[in-house]
Amino acid sequence: MSLTARGQGRTAFAYLTPALLVLAGLLAYPIYQLVLISLYDYGQEQVSGGAPLHFLGLGNYRKLLGDQQFWTVLGQTVAFAAVCVAGTLLVGAFLAILATRVRTWVRMTLFLAALGAWSTPAVAGSTIWLFLFDANFGFVNEVLGLQGFSWTFDKWTAFGLVAAQVIWCSFPFVMVTLYAGIKAIPGEVLEAAALDGASAFRTAWSVTLPLLRPIILVVTIQSIIWDFKIFTQIYVMTNGGGIAGRNLVLNVYAYQQAFAASEYGLGAAIGVVMTVLLLVITLCYLRALRRSGEAL
Amino acid sequence: MTEALVLVIAAVVAFPLFWMVLSAFKPEDEIISADPVPWTTRPTLASFTRALTVANFGRYLGNSLIVALIVVVLSILISFLAATALTRFRFRGRTTLLIMLLVVQMVPVEALTVPLFFLMRSVGDSVPAFGLNHLGSLVLVHLAFGLPFAIWMLRGFVAAVPVELEEAATLDGASRFRFLWQVLFPLVAPGLVATSVLSFIHAWNDFLFAKTFIISAVENQTLPLALQVFVKPDQNDWGAIMAGSTLMTIPVLIFFVLVQRRLVSGLAGAVKG
Amino acid sequence: MRLKTLVAVLGVGAVVACAPVQSGPTTSGTDEQTGQLRVWLFDEVNRGPKEAVVKEAVSEFQGRHSGVTVDVQYIQVASRAERFKAAFSDPRSAPDVAEFGNTDLAGYVSAGGFSELDLGRWDEAKDLVPTILDTAKVDGKTYGVPWFVGVRALYYRTDVFTELGLKPPATLDEIATTAREIRQKKPELLGISTGGKYVFAALPFIWAQGGDIARQDGGKYTAAVESAEAKAGVAQYAELIKDDICPPATCAGNGGDASVEQFRAGKAAMTIGGDFNRKSVDASSAAGKYGVVPLPGRTAGSIAPAFAGGNLLGVLKGTQRRTLGNEFVQLLASKKYQQKMYAAMGNLPTFADVQKQVSDSDKFLEPFTRTLQAGTRFVPVTPAWAKIDAQAVLPTMIQEVVTGAKNVDAATAGAAQAMNAAFAS
Repeated sequence: MSLTARGQGRTAFAYLTPALLVLAGLLAYPIYQLVLISLYDYGQEQVSGGAPLHFLGLGNYRKLLGDQQFWTVLGQTVAFAAVCVAGTLLVGAFLAILATRVRTWVRMTLFLAALGAWSTPAVAGSTIWLFLFDANFGFVNEVLGLQGFSWTFDKWTAFGLVAAQVIWCSFPFVMVTLYAGIKAIPGEVLEAAALDGASAFRTAWSVTLPLLRPIILVVTIQSIIWDFKIFTQIYVMTNGGGIAGRNLVLNVYAYQQAFAASEYGLGAAIGVVMTVLLLVITLCYLRALRRSGEAL
Repeated sequence: MTEALVLVIAAVVAFPLFWMVLSAFKPEDEIISADPVPWTTRPTLASFTRALTVANFGRYLGNSLIVALIVVVLSILISFLAATALTRFRFRGRTTLLIMLLVVQMVPVEALTVPLFFLMRSVGDSVPAFGLNHLGSLVLVHLAFGLPFAIWMLRGFVAAVPVELEEAATLDGASRFRFLWQVLFPLVAPGLVATSVLSFIHAWNDFLFAKTFIISAVENQTLPLALQVFVKPDQNDWGAIMAGSTLMTIPVLIFFVLVQRRLVSGLAGAVKG
Repeated sequence: MRLKTLVAVLGVGAVVACAPVQSGPTTSGTDEQTGQLRVWLFDEVNRGPKEAVVKEAVSEFQGRHSGVTVDVQYIQVASRAERFKAAFSDPRSAPDVAEFGNTDLAGYVSAGGFSELDLGRWDEAKDLVPTILDTAKVDGKTYGVPWFVGVRALYYRTDVFTELGLKPPATLDEIATTAREIRQKKPELLGISTGGKYVFAALPFIWAQGGDIARQDGGKYTAAVESAEAKAGVAQYAELIKDDICPPATCAGNGGDASVEQFRAGKAAMTIGGDFNRKSVDASSAAGKYGVVPLPGRTAGSIAPAFAGGNLLGVLKGTQRRTLGNEFVQLLASKKYQQKMYAAMGNLPTFADVQKQVSDSDKFLEPFTRTLQAGTRFVPVTPAWAKIDAQAVLPTMIQEVVTGAKNVDAATAGAAQAMNAAFAS
């Protein structure tokens, strides 16, 4: 009783309908509106004040791309996201491998700690880290004997601090996922490697990690998408973008320059540009997936 | 040796959370002091009392819980159906749809608040419970933002269930409906658990949309908004902030602990695809 | 190929033909005389005293108008911008009466939020201090009643000054020299606690030098922060945030609250604080050990022009209870209740006679009333100010100079460019 192609399509459509309704109404339509808004001079006066709409075409984009600060912030965002993603993957992978080599109760302790980090809301997590690293009242400075040293003043230590916080709350996802992936590798494969005389490190590097490639790619892409769009941690921990805005990332820049200033047209343009950038990255990922033989 | 290392790392990872809970129990003068210590000799519930009474906490907790749970239930059902459709069936536009689902995850959420605000306003004109100032609007929005990720995650898990199983079931005379709900659904349960946990966290921690949609109906505010009360211009009430944050984190942690085994296997299956 | 062209045409058509949503200003036709009047007031650190006074006003109002209830909500200052924008965009969520900051006024008016008030028939109105009433006007029309005013002056540690045999600075220049001397002799103290984000402390320096941040030419504003006088003011203020007075690492990121906080914690010998900071300073470790003098000007005996901050009470444009709203505003902002608010919160009244009354009976207010009388200044009254504020143009400028990222010329040039872009939009 296999379905005909037509029947397949119809059943599939039936199953998809609830999702499509929600997504079309609440996601597709607003995104369409977003693109529309980016083409206009759209501020609070237009939104609620009855001021006339002024079609700008690509004016907002030209203004954005011509702003020197945008390019600086873009560079910072890419670099910052790269560090966060790399750090998260490294920490997650390292701990996942370690987790496979310890007893259950030790592993459970680690997982519980990681789940705690993961479940802390972004605002609470940022605040507690800020607290711990406070220049005068922070525990870290007390332990390290650095009383009075401000972690959030210097541009690089500030970025470093926020990156550490992001890695702290993001690595659990990678660790648990990779751990599950490693667990799924048939035991015979790993035994064969050990029989061949491979050390633990070589097994991990040459056998385990390649087998995990599809999983690693998925978590990498998700991490890239999330870390590129970071807002709360930077906003809270650098007090809105750091001294003279030197710790800005794109989402915070968009908020400060556009949304808080009611320049919704410009903000929409930044949103569109960010989406396009991430799309380019994803296309590279899809190309890589196809090359490795994965079907979609 | 490895075990000692893992335990040390676990301690470091858990430290900020420990500090948060500790600060919630510390008396006011010990929280902001020049010599902070990782213990307290005078634990007190005063901060918790302040957090629970000053901010009408119970009501907001209830609101957050309602929104998060409804989102989780609806998300499971809808994403399961959609993931099945996208994995088990072949039809034109399937790949395009999959790519679209990935693309929508890339749009920065903050940028969409203005269009969504007006959308909810219009929705509220026809169906008040889902409009501005009502929790229904939050349910809709979190559902919409959680579905793409949930569908992508579930895809892999549905794909892992062998086709032969379905064919065997149909040979035994089971209808499609029965197969779907009585065979496939339980098989992908771990994956559903994993995605539901993530939906829960996302809806539970949301601050942006609650701030945007709940304007005049203060009784419908959610928990993150409630905590803002303690972030005062002159002097933050750190004790209450820590107590409130602890109260916010505990339910999620409990949820996590309960499902953590299923979570692990869920994530494994989900990313296989 | 044809299908693709069709889709492309439809796509472009959809984009061009449709337009973003607007809600437009709503002036409702109705003016109900009964029902619930919704009021938004700002939340405070310690809300109790304010709430008590407001409750009094509410019962008096409800007593006077039968069938009317007043629902007061206290909103967070930090998230007020989003709240108000949402209220303007959705009149159903909007209150009837609201408290709002005078710097937010121009932006709110252009967003179609508040309605014009006719104060002509309110006889108490004639006693409102003219310069303060000006902060409630846009293009000559009044949109709110000033509820209280706040100005800043120089707080200093009397014990430290006595110990070192110093006198409070009498001119702007002396602030830096006095602060430097204190920090030299007592390295654990900040000479003066001020911050890179503390715009309202920096503006008096610019104004005292004879400059301004913007200049109005027949209705249009242009940035004036590049004038020689303004640059001198900026340079003089930036001098305070240096290692020998208030190290950038500690102070560059501080706004007003954080700056006063250092003084409260006993870590600074001076700070620029408002009359509204008095209660919290009195509750801190600096209590009983401080005095206040007006922020001095360029010459001895002069006072630097202070920024006239304050909140207004206004009636929202889409309200369905315009008359009731007006009456409630006039009640809560009346001399009687301003006096009660002073007693409860220390808020400086906006009526000339009440101000005099209150400062005669309280010595603490003397430097602040003198500052008020010496003449206060304000920010550009234009919706662009909200943009400039949100984009942190002035804090960025100060922070750039303080960290050495740019010199004064480059920093003010950058700020002028950003301000002009905002003024032109």
